[in-house]
Amino acid sequence: MKNYDILIIGGGPAGISAALAASKFNLKVALFEEKETLGGQLVKQTHKFFGSKDESAGTRGIFIAQKLINDVNNKDNIDVYLNSMVLGYYEDGVVTALVKGKMEKFKPKKIVIATGAFEKSLPFENNDLPGVFGAGAVQTLMNVYGVLPGKEVLMVGSGNIGLIVSYQLAQAGVKVKGIVEISEKIGGYLVHASKVRRLGIPIYTKHTITKAIGENKVEGAIIENIETKEKKQISCDVICLATGLMPLSDIINQINCEMKYISELGGYVPVHDDNMKTTVENIFVAGDTAGIEEATAAMLEGELAGLYASYELTNIFDNRINEIKERLKEFRKTSSKVVSGLKKLNLYNDFTVNSQEDLGKLHRTGIPEKESIESNIPKENKRFAIIECYQKIPCNPCVSSCPTNAISMDSLNGIPKLDTNKCIGCGNCVAICPGLAIFVVDKESVLLPYEFLPLPNKGDIVEVVDREGKFLEKNIVLNVRKMKDKTNLIEVKVSKEHINNARHIRVVK
Amino acid sequence: MNEEKIIVCRCEDITLKEIRDLINDGYTTLEEIKRITRAVMGPCQGKTCGPIIAREISKITGKPIEEIYKPSIRPPFGGLFFKEIVGEKDEK
Ligand code: SF4
Ligand code: SF4
Repeated sequence: MKNYDILIIGGGPAGISAALAASKFNLKVALFEEKETLGGQLVKQTHKFFGSKDESAGTRGIFIAQKLINDVNNKDNIDVYLNSMVLGYYEDGVVTALVKGKMEKFKPKKIVIATGAFEKSLPFENNDLPGVFGAGAVQTLMNVYGVLPGKEVLMVGSGNIGLIVSYQLAQAGVKVKGIVEISEKIGGYLVHASKVRRLGIPIYTKHTITKAIGENKVEGAIIENIETKEKKQISCDVICLATGLMPLSDIINQINCEMKYISELGGYVPVHDDNMKTTVENIFVAGDTAGIEEATAAMLEGELAGLYASYELTNIFDNRINEIKERLKEFRKTSSKVVSGLKKLNLYNDFTVNSQEDLGKLHRTGIPEKESIESNIPKENKRFAIIECYQKIPCNPCVSSCPTNAISMDSLNGIPKLDTNKCIGCGNCVAICPGLAIFVVDKESVLLPYEFLPLPNKGDIVEVVDREGKFLEKNIVLNVRKMKDKTNLIEVKVSKEHINNARHIRVVK
Repeated sequence: MNEEKIIVCRCEDITLKEIRDLINDGYTTLEEIKRITRAVMGPCQGKTCGPIIAREISKITGKPIEEIYKPSIRPPFGGLFFKEIVGEKDEK
């Protein structure tokens, strides 16, 4: 039997953050991960994160994972158990785990459960055909093993995962035939939606999948408009389900922590207080297990759980605990869903969230309304940035990227505003924006963010397309700026009539 | 919609038709359906099918899902060999 001060189950962003927080107090920490690597979902996330600078906004998930893993490996007081599945918890506080093919016993003083989430499945005809994947599997195949899941994909679900994985599939050269969304509004961040629309990927709101077609493997799908019942057949060899996550709570259930069904948080969640303590003494939770949110919230919650568990052991109160609670509130200000879920846990009772306004056409199609687009175009005839970011999301790297302070924002969740008099058109903001929502427009050129291969060369002729991926014209690449973080900047010549609609390019092979 | 071609439990290969027939026959708890079909008892331990079956029960009986879907799992959570518990030297 091995003794530990704190035992953490789950080596994703929440678990690692908890381990790092606890290690600050020189406590003996064990970190359990059932896979061969730490990092959880972060290791598949090739996109740049939203958020504020303090929480690594603008950094790609994979790099955040690398940093966290390095930090863990540099700590002598964290024992990392990889390929080690926790199998049970017993009344005397003993935890059993399968370590190197042998069942071992551990006795910790505190436990932090950060086991993450499980993908929800969807019942439709022939849903057992080979070629029906969960979005997590597609991401693992593509981004971890470098294997394409297929050639033509139909995505089901337009939350952030559905949108981001569609974009990544397109980056990998897969044709995404469409994104099916049952509700009338796109679920994920609208900058992600605009990003996939520019690639020519349609989003079918108010649609659901009713059937997979094929004998021995997926050869297509039938989708149906839930209002008109109109059916459409789409040919594809992969159906990718991004239909939501559910907290993974096997261990919490077994420990007999009080649970509550809260649909806003993904299903059954452990009742916990604002220090991440459950109803059972010495058991803490963090991350998606405590309720489905974003990775940034998971890291903050993990750190909070780690610090508070340490406080109970050492009696040293770290002020960062209060700081994290404030950060979490700031972060959750745009998510009426999460906040209303937390209210059901008797948390955030004094906290109100303005429910997200309906952004009209943008919310249904991923393409901004004509008026919003036009309001961005200044009268003066000069080089300036155009910010097509209209939704309140917790994100602000554009503000600090600007050397002339031309971009301002009321709070982390505000909408960026541009002072065109100050803007010198340098393009810094274009490169940093994780939503790829900023462009620099000059008299006869557009500077755009580009994350595809092959990269065009200066002087090449490329196809210039609009916000829906529709062909506008062929024109010449004036400049290519290769960036370290791989969001490259392409300046392309565009004729006057198309200058306000040119938002992406296609390299002609 | 052909309910016989909709798989609810992937581990034990159970269709939506089987589940709906059972609910209509009066098996209206997850526990009963689990005992009769083996759904929820496969390697995923009901993570895929559990919520779907609960939703079907809720739809047919009108009971809120909170009252139906209450997963509880006993240790060990995963499949284990005896040698992993007792530590055997020679498999033969
Ligand atoms: S283009 Fe440069 S100057 Fe203009 S807003 Fe962006 S960062 Fe600021
Ligand atoms: S424009 Fe600013 S706030 Fe909007 S996504 Fe880009 S960096 Fe974030």
